[in-house]
Amino acid sequence: MYITKKMYIKPDMKLSDFFFDNPYLLLMMEHFNLNFVTHEKTIEDLCNEHSINTNIFVDIANLYNGFNEISAEKYQKNDIPTLINFLKNSHDYYKEEKYPEIRDLICKISTINETAEIKLIKTFFEEYFNEVVEHLDYEDKVAFPYFIDILNKKESIIKQADYSAKVYCDHHTDIESKLMELNNLLLRHIPLGKDSSLRRKLILSLFEMEYELKIHYLLEENALIPLVSNIEKNIK
Amino acid sequence: MKDCNIHIAIVDPSHIISEGLSNILLKSDHHFQIYKFDTLEEVLSFRENDKINIVITSPSTLLSNEKDYKSVKKTLPKVKWVGIVYSFFDKKTIEQFDNVIEISESPPNINKIIYSVYEKKCDCKKGNKSNELSEREKDVLIELINGLSNKEIANKLFISTHTVASHRKNIVSKTGIKSLSGLTIYAITQKIISIE
Repeated sequence: MYITKKMYIKPDMKLSDFFFDNPYLLLMMEHFNLNFVTHEKTIEDLCNEHSINTNIFVDIANLYNGFNEISAEKYQKNDIPTLINFLKNSHDYYKEEKYPEIRDLICKISTINETAEIKLIKTFFEEYFNEVVEHLDYEDKVAFPYFIDILNKKESIIKQADYSAKVYCDHHTDIESKLMELNNLLLRHIPLGKDSSLRRKLILSLFEMEYELKIHYLLEENALIPLVSNIEKNIK
Repeated sequence: MKDCNIHIAIVDPSHIISEGLSNILLKSDHHFQIYKFDTLEEVLSFRENDKINIVITSPSTLLSNEKDYKSVKKTLPKVKWVGIVYSFFDKKTIEQFDNVIEISESPPNINKIIYSVYEKKCDCKKGNKSNELSEREKDVLIELINGLSNKEIANKLFISTHTVASHRKNIVSKTGIKSLSGLTIYAITQKIISIE
């Protein structure tokens, strides 16, 4: 039983106000490569200053607050690099910060709760982590460069490549659901030993990761892929 | 995993109304998850709006934003509508709601009104055992972990593949775990299998 009310973000709002409402927006700023100490600036000021489409910024910020207004119709093909940079930066955050943090916690837990289950959780996570890295690398090295080529109309490349946004869709594995499985195992099934404070940290971390991935997925599915598909239709 | 909460969206720009209503609802014996919105437009863009069971709003919200009202009705056809009425409105407007709460209503009656439009059966108060696997589900789980296909399991346990599939579905919904490696860990914690 609790009440949910997050601010609905609009372009004339002061940035610093919305961080107090939802501190996870700090992460969003990092993904945009923006400094989060913004003094008195409004969203509009900041977007103009950094040539970011205000619509995209506001929509992503609202996504962090639980409102999904992402729709490719509102954006232009010139927004593709902004989106790709945002997604790439989030990949780096997952690979270099968040997943290592999760792995580290699991390792620590396994040293104080030496049961077979925890050992298996460790293996489960390692396998999962390898899958994730493979997927993220694929997006960074294959999919995103292809999208940029398409944007720059490198027709020779496009015609040669038997690749398209559709393939990218198919490649999209459901990375989220395994995180939820981990949480189910840790919260509902595996008995707690002396690892309670570490396990709490781990579970919170897993939920944070899941929250990030949901946003990531919506951006790819509802903004990036439709934008790229539209260009493909015009070229091919 | 079952969700025993009734999800209620209160759509009213007045804080007195929304705070007051949520306080009354949250103090009752039932499980409510309450979301507050200023406008119906916000409900439409709310990411998890498919969870909403009831929308409580004033007749004037419907009248002034007919377009949004229609879109919410279209996107969320199963949602029940409860009016919070604090002035006079014509009968036709009031009839659009499944039920109404008058501003002078007592808290117990408010709960009754909510329950009159939407009731969620839940057994979490009866020492919920429903998430435990049945013996047959455990049998299926063991064979799954042994690497058998649906068809092989069906043959071995003398049941139809359709039944195997339905057991599998139940296992996933009861445990919250889908992958084979996750299910193996689950089976060990429940001592359904052991590792030598």
